[in-house]
Order: sequence, then structure tokens, then C-alpha cells
Amino acid sequence: MWRVWLLFDPRRVLVALGIFLFVLALLIHFILLSTDRFNWLEGPHHGATAAQMAPLPSK
Amino acid sequence: MALNPTGPTISGLTEAEAKEFHGIFTTSFIAFTVIAIIAHFLAWQWRPWLPGPNGYATSWLNDFAPMLHHTISQLV
Repeated sequence: MWRVWLLFDPRRVLVALGIFLFVLALLIHFILLSTDRFNWLEGPHHGATAAQMAPLPSK
Repeated sequence: MALNPTGPTISGLTEAEAKEFHGIFTTSFIAFTVIAIIAHFLAWQWRPWLPGPNGYATSWLNDFAPMLHHTISQLV
């Protein structure tokens, strides 16, 4: 397995891996912030969710 | 996989250097994975991300909170 470093330059691999993991982490964090359940800064919006899930008023 | 035993390798590393870097890389990868596992465990404790067939489980207080509010508002 160590022979992979004879093929690939470790410096480029480390830079590529670092960029990839950082972008992936940023993407996942923003996706979570955009959800109602996993937003850790503002928490769930009960009012908005309740209004969306509530049945239509019957007249 | 002796690409060129006598000449330079494609990456420019010698076998000794490749083995040394592989040791560092493996150790770092394991450390990263352990930290990620701990983070996932804590995140699951906070809020599991796989809902059951009936949606995410909620505490009984969440289900009965509107009824309690209604009852209290009727009494007061």
C-alpha cells in the first residue's frame, strides 16, 4: 500500500484531500443549517412548521 | 510493483521516503477517523438523523403540549 506514494506526489495528494474535505464539510454544515431539525443556531421554527402542516381552515 | 528499481520513481520519492510518509499518513487518517466517529456519536445523541416509519420520535411533552396549553387557558 505504501507504494502508492511512489505513484502520487504526497504534496498534491495532501492539498487535494484537504480542499476536498474542507468543501465537503462546508457543504454538509450549510445543508444542516438549512434544515429545521438540525439547525443548531436558531433551532426549529415551530410556528412556521405548524402553519405548514396544519390542515386548511374549513368554512 | 517495481516500476523502475534503479531510476527515479514517478512521484520522485524513494522507497524509504514513501514508507515514512505512509506511516505518517496512516496515523493521521486513523486519528481523523476516530475524531469523526466521536463527532457522529455526539451528533446522534443530540438528534438522530434517521427517522423511523412514523417519523422522528418526539417526547410525550411535544405531543401533548398543545392540549395542555388549551386546558390551562380554559381554566385560567
